[in-house]
Amino acid sequence: MSGLSLSALLIRFILGGTAVIASTIISRKLGDRAGGIFAAFPAVFLAALLTNGLDFHGQELISHSILLSKGAIFGMAINIGVAILAGYLLPRQGWKRGLTEAMVCWFVVSMVVVMITSNYESKGGLHEKK
Amino acid sequence: MKKNDLLLRFLLGGSAVALSYLVTVISPWKILGGIFAAFPAVMLTAVLMMGISSGSKKAANIATGSVFGMIGGIVCVATVLLVLQASGNWMFSIISGVILWLGSSFAISEMKEHTKKRSLSRA
Repeated sequence: MSGLSLSALLIRFILGGTAVIASTIISRKLGDRAGGIFAAFPAVFLAALLTNGLDFHGQELISHSILLSKGAIFGMAINIGVAILAGYLLPRQGWKRGLTEAMVCWFVVSMVVVMITSNYESKGGLHEKK
Repeated sequence: MKKNDLLLRFLLGGSAVALSYLVTVISPWKILGGIFAAFPAVMLTAVLMMGISSGSKKAANIATGSVFGMIGGIVCVATVLLVLQASGNWMFSIISGVILWLGSSFAISEMKEHTKKRSLSRA
C-alpha cells in the first residue's frame, strides 16, 4: 500500500462498524457465543481485498490478492491465540486489565512473527541476487 | 436496543478498523504497518463495548466465542487463496470465503457445544 486512499478508508470504516453492530445484535438475540463469531468477522482482511479490487485489475489483482491472503493466514493464527488468552484473562483479571494484557501479547507476538518473516524474505532476496 | 448505543458501536468499530489502515499507511516503520494489517479491531471493540455495558464475564464470553470466528477466519483466508489459485475468479473467491467463514465458525462452535454436553452427560 503506497498512499492514503479515501475509498479504502471508507470501506474499512463501514465493514468494521457493521461487524460490531452485527456482533451486538446477534449476541443479544442468539447468545454471546454467536455474537462472538461476528466479533471475529475478518473485516480488515476483506476490506484489504476489496481495496485491491479498486487499485488493480486482471492478473495483477489476482497475484496481489494471493500475496495478501498468504500473509493474512499468519495474522489470523496469532488472533486465535489472542482470543483464547483474552477468554482466559478477562474473568480472572477483569475486562480492562485482561484486554490490555491480551493486546500487549498480540503486539509482541505479531512483532516477532513480522521480524522473522521479513528476515526470511530478505535472506531469500540475497540468495536470488547471488 | 437504543439507537445511540448502536451508533456509538458502529462509530467505534469503524474507527478501529480505519485506524489500523491509517497506521499501515502513515507509519514510518514498515514493521508496524505489517503488524496492524492483521489487527483484531472488531474483536477488540466488541469485547470492549461488552465490558463497559455488561461486565467482565459477558466480555469474556464474547472473546471465547470469537475464537470460533477466528478459526473460521483462517478457513475464509484459505478458501480465498485456494479459489484464487484454482479459478482466478476474484469476486467468487471473496463470496465463497465469507460463506465458508460463517458456516465453519458455526459448525466448530456447535461441535464444541455438542462435545461439552456429551462429556457433561457422561459425568
